[in-house]
Formats: sequence, C-alpha cells, structure tokens
Amino acid sequence: MNAIEILFWLLSALAIISAMMVLLSKNPVHSVLWLIAVFFAISGHYILLNAQFLAIVNIIVYAGAIMVLFLFVIMLMNLNKESEPKRNFWRILIGIISGGSLLMILVSLIRQATEINNKNALMESGNIGLIKTLGKLLFSDYVVPFEISSVLFLSAMVGAVVIGKKE
Amino acid sequence: MNAIILSALGGIVMMFTGIFTQNKIVIKNIAIITLLLLLIGNLLHFYGIYMLHVDVKDMLQFNNFGLFFNTIAFTSTLIYFLLSGTDITKVGINVAEYFALIFFVLCGVSILTSFHNLLMLFLGIEILSIPLYILTGADKKNLKSNEAALKYFLMGSFSTGILLMGIALLYGASGNFSIESVPSTTSKVAEMANSSILTPLGLLFVFVALLFKVSAAPFHFWVPDVYDGAPSVFTSFMATIAKAVGFIAFIFLFESRIAELGPSSRIIIPFVIILTLLIGNITAVFQQSVKRMLAYSSIAQAGFMLFVLYSNNDISSEGILLYSVAYSFATIGIFAILIKMKDYTFEGYNGLAKKEPLIAAANTIFLLSLAGIPLTAGFFAKYYMLLSAIKANGQNALWLVIVAVLFAAVSVYYYFRVIQAMYFKEGNPEIATTNTSFKVILLALAAIIIFIGLFPTVVLNFLYF
Amino acid sequence: MHWLLLASDATNNSAYSYFPIGIQLIFAAGFVAFMIALSQWVGPKRKTNDKLQNFTSGIASHGDARQPMAIKYFLVAILFVLFDVEVIFFYPYAVNFRELGWAGFGAVVMFVSFFLLGFIYIIKKGALKWED
Repeated sequence: MNAIEILFWLLSALAIISAMMVLLSKNPVHSVLWLIAVFFAISGHYILLNAQFLAIVNIIVYAGAIMVLFLFVIMLMNLNKESEPKRNFWRILIGIISGGSLLMILVSLIRQATEINNKNALMESGNIGLIKTLGKLLFSDYVVPFEISSVLFLSAMVGAVVIGKKE
Repeated sequence: MNAIILSALGGIVMMFTGIFTQNKIVIKNIAIITLLLLLIGNLLHFYGIYMLHVDVKDMLQFNNFGLFFNTIAFTSTLIYFLLSGTDITKVGINVAEYFALIFFVLCGVSILTSFHNLLMLFLGIEILSIPLYILTGADKKNLKSNEAALKYFLMGSFSTGILLMGIALLYGASGNFSIESVPSTTSKVAEMANSSILTPLGLLFVFVALLFKVSAAPFHFWVPDVYDGAPSVFTSFMATIAKAVGFIAFIFLFESRIAELGPSSRIIIPFVIILTLLIGNITAVFQQSVKRMLAYSSIAQAGFMLFVLYSNNDISSEGILLYSVAYSFATIGIFAILIKMKDYTFEGYNGLAKKEPLIAAANTIFLLSLAGIPLTAGFFAKYYMLLSAIKANGQNALWLVIVAVLFAAVSVYYYFRVIQAMYFKEGNPEIATTNTSFKVILLALAAIIIFIGLFPTVVLNFLYF
Repeated sequence: MHWLLLASDATNNSAYSYFPIGIQLIFAAGFVAFMIALSQWVGPKRKTNDKLQNFTSGIASHGDARQPMAIKYFLVAILFVLFDVEVIFFYPYAVNFRELGWAGFGAVVMFVSFFLLGFIYIIKKGALKWED
C-alpha cells in the first residue's frame, strides 16, 4: 500500500462520511458545511487522478460560489425548528427500501463486471486532466458545445432577472 | 445550424426589445417577426443555404427528419404566438423576457433535433428545461405557480443528474461521447472498461431521464401539478412543443441502440407504455378541472407517442411527426380557448355553444382530434403509431395494440365531457372577449387539422421531397 | 526524501506537485485548531449564568437572529456564479493562447460577447441596482 493508495482511501472515507453527514445533520447550515467537505475530498481525488484543473474549478465554483448560494437560500427560507415537517416512519422505510435496492443493484453489477475488476484508475499519471490538454480540446474539438453553452448562461441570466427582480 | 443560431439570436433580440420598449403589442409583433425569420432560416437549410459554415465535428447531424420536426415546432410556436400572444403579455411585467425564454427553448429544440453526441444531448435538454422552469414560475404572485416552478425545478434537476450519470457511464464504456455504439480503440479508458455492464446501465439511466422529460409513467408525478400550477399560456407551450421534442431525442439516441439496453427492454418498453396509458387515462376521467384533465391526457398521449420506441421503424418515425403535428396543433388550440375562460372546471364550459358557436365548434374539432376520431389528424396519428407496432412485431404486438385502442376509447369519455358541457348543458359561461382574428386563426387551425385528417400523406411528403 | 525531491521538480506535472500544498493545508488547519485549543486550555474560565447570555451594549436580546434575507443578495449571488463560470473558461484558454491562434481567439471573443450582451442586459434592467 503506497502513499497514493493511503490517500485514496482517506479521501474516499472523508467523502462518504461527509456525504452521510450532509443528510444526517439536523441543522441545514451544517449540511452545507459538510457538503463543502465533500467537495474538498472530491477535489483531492481529482488531484490524485492528475486532473488538476477540475480540482481547482471544483473548489472555486462549487465550494466557493455555489455553496454561498446554498447558504443564501437556506437563510432566505427562514428554517426554524417549528417549520420542520414531521418525519413519517413509512416514508423513511420506503425510502430506505428503494434506495437500498438501487445500491444493491449497482454494487452487484459492478462486482459482476469482470472487465473492471482488479483494474485501477490511472493515478498520478496521464495528461488528460491537465489544463493545457483540456484547453486545446475545449477550443478545438469541443468549440461548438462551448459556444452553445453560452445560450444556457443567457437563459439563466434572463431567468434570474425574471424571477429575482422586484416588480 | 440555421435554426440553432437564429433561435439563440432571436432570444437575444427579445431580451433587448424589453429594454427599449414596454409596449406589449410591439413586443409581441417583434416576437412574431423574429419567429417568422427563424422559420424561414430553417426552411433554407433544406435547400442547403447556411448562415455560417461551422465545422461541428460530427457533434450535430442535420437530416430531413430533424429539420422537418423543427419546422413543425416553429410552425406550432407561430400559431401559438398568434393565438395566445396577447395572453403571454398579460402574465407579468417581464413581457419580452417570456418571449426570449421561449426562443431559448426553441434553441434547445433545434439542438435536440440534430444532436449526434451525448454532450449535445445534455446541452439541448438543459437549454430546453431551464427556461421552462422559469416560465412555470412566471406568475410570481400566484402561490400555485411558485410551487409548480419549485417542484418542476427540483424534479427536473434530479432527472438531469440521472442523465449525467448515464452519460458518464456511457463515456466510461466507450471513451467518447458519440451516440453510436462504436467503442473507441484508442482510448485508455475504453481499454480499461470496455465492459458489457457499463453500456446497458448507462443507457438505462439516460432512458429513465428521458422518460421523465417526456412525462411517461412511472416518472409522471410532476406533470399534473406543474401543468396545473403554471400559467395556462405556458402550460400550452410546455405540453406540446417541449414535450414532443423529447421523443425525437429518444429516436436519435435509441434507434440503433435499443437492443443494447439488454433483453429486458422487450419488457420495459411495453410496461412503460401500458402504465403511461393506464395512469394518464384513468386519472383523467376523475378530474373536475379541464386544465388538470388536459395535464393527465397529455400523459396519456405520451403513452401513444412511446410506441415509437416499441416499434422503432420507418412508419413509427413518420408517425411521431404526424403525432407531433396533430397533438401540438390541437392542444395549442384547446389551451388558447381555455385561457379565455374564467372558470376552468367542466361546468365553466356549460352552454358555450350558444354563446360562442364558432369557438365551441373549433374546440370540438380539437378535442375530437385528441381523442383520435376519424377525419381528424389525431386519428391518423394514432393509426400510424399502432400500425408501426404491428409492422415491427406482427402478431406479438397485437395485445399491446388492443390495450392501446381500449384506452383510446376511455379517453373519448373525458374529451366528450367537454363537448357535452358545451353543447348539451345550459349555462352562462364567462369567456373573455375575443376579436375576429382570434376566431379566424382558430377556425383555420381546425381546418388544418381536418385537412391533415383527410390527407395525412401531404404532411409526410415533406420528409422526402 | 524521495517525495520532496519529486515535488521540487517544477516540470513534473503530476499529483506530487501538490504535495507542498497539501502540507500547507494540513499546517494551516492544524495551526488554527491548535491555537483555538490552546486558548481554551490556557485561558481563564469563569462561567456564570449572566456571562453566557447574549447581549449587545447591555441591551437584552430579543427575537430570532434568523431573519429571511432580501432576495437582492440572491440575485447578485446567482449572477456572480454565472460570471464566475465564464472566467473559469479563460484559464484553459490563457495557457494555450499562442497555439490556438486566431481560431481560438474568435471562439473566446464570441463567447465573451454573448456574456457581454447578457451583462448589458442585466445593467439596463437594473438587476444590480441596490436601491429601488
């Protein structure tokens, strides 16, 4: 077990535990903070996979900007103890059963897939995720989706103004 | 490509129209003119005239089928603007923005009718959905509209998450984003994971996400609340153009790959079709509000359109185009009338035939077309879908066809309730005053539906000219 | 020492280059945790009921601190995210500036001009105006 593997298991454990805590925390602000921990753990994974650009973008955009938005939304909603809905036992049970079945299917499928057994991801090598390679691809092969994505941004801007601007 | 560029530019034009003028009539007319330009631009593409020569790197492929669907979508939108344009301007104060968002939806439509790459599929679906979430919540003062928008947004983003998961798995299996099932030999990722399990799983995820977008059971739960809560003008648009394009995406993605979903697809697809027909039709019977009934009936209509996945042949491709025309035109017409009504319940329609005979007559034709009565476009639409199933699977498909016909008979009941209310019940319906041009367009639309019902091949000939 | 040697090699663009950053992160977090723990441990503590109460300038607190925020903050935040994402796209362009040539420049200019149109729209609509 070399250093990379130790880091991988550490980050995976951190990501999974933090993701569980997002759901289990009673306080929504704590959930958001745990979610930031998830993003940092995943960024660590990206670095291990040598996808440095993704790691940084993940931190800047998700942990930075989008989490701030999440906090705003939580504060906007004025969540108090009284306004929390009562937890229905049956709903929890149904949720556990259906979510558990999906988990079981996914895990058993991956276990059965002999092709991906005993194969590791490309760790600490490969240049697919490097910013230079990514930039070349983005501005040559993927330039059309890149331009089209600006339409998405424009519609989001219009939407923000329509919904958010006071009449 | 013309359609994508022009619709995006059209959206920008509308954005800025809202800055320079607040005059609702001017805004509406500019929207209509821009849409006409878009329609012309799309038609020019048939003749090989392009605005820009863009190397799309095989990410988009333009064929007559997709272009023809574009034409249908833009024509439907034009009719929709002409009939309900004035009502769009009454939803709120951001009038030009509503039109801009509709143009952005059309941009998503034109991407979804030409994508040849999973990345483009994702972009198309997002460009289609995000403006729709906003349009759903456009009536900010109305609590139901707010709730519908939030519900639609949360459910929609969840399904987009599933779509992305599926695309990621497919990418993992093949090492590229192409929608064709040729595994790349150069990619290291492909060497590692060129497995039999990732592809079907990924396709299943994409399949589920698309079923959500076309509101097929068992992913239909959002439909009644969203369609009911959204401002009626936008429900009309959502339920027609934005929905029909989902089936086009289905065809592009699955026409060559449906078998890769595994042997279970033989069970899954008929199951989805029957469940969609069952839930849509049976629940629609018990509705008291016409708007909510139309929401459920749109689920039921999706059940028929899903036959395109079951049969997956030339007839079903033609059928889905015919179905899009019949369904979109009729639904736009019905909603245009519904918006004018004060009371959305069945009782609200009581005695409409006495008060507004022309509108009632047009409404009857639209309802008959949705029900699939002969001599209307809806009949041939349903006929083509069922015929394609027989052609594809012979005797094995007979039971499915019989079930579908039975449900079509059920649907006659709730469509006829409206007709019954209009003609055979006494009452004084409150309907907003309509001008002559509204009635003329409505009657012309009804005439088109009957014309297509008499000569359906006229529409389809466009495919092969 | 093999790790640090690798890390000091600037041309080696691999996960090892992030080792110093990792150490820095651990050090920063550890330092903060240590200082907080230290002040808790060393500092004098006299807990009385009055001392633990919230107060501002001697006035007793009233009401809840969780007031709903104005939607303006939200609008600014969401517009910030959009332009933040736009800026992210500049990084991969910047490192490839020379190689991409005019074609890449055209692509970026087109993308930015779309955003500029959006920006003009936002300004003209007064979405960033705080007072209304």
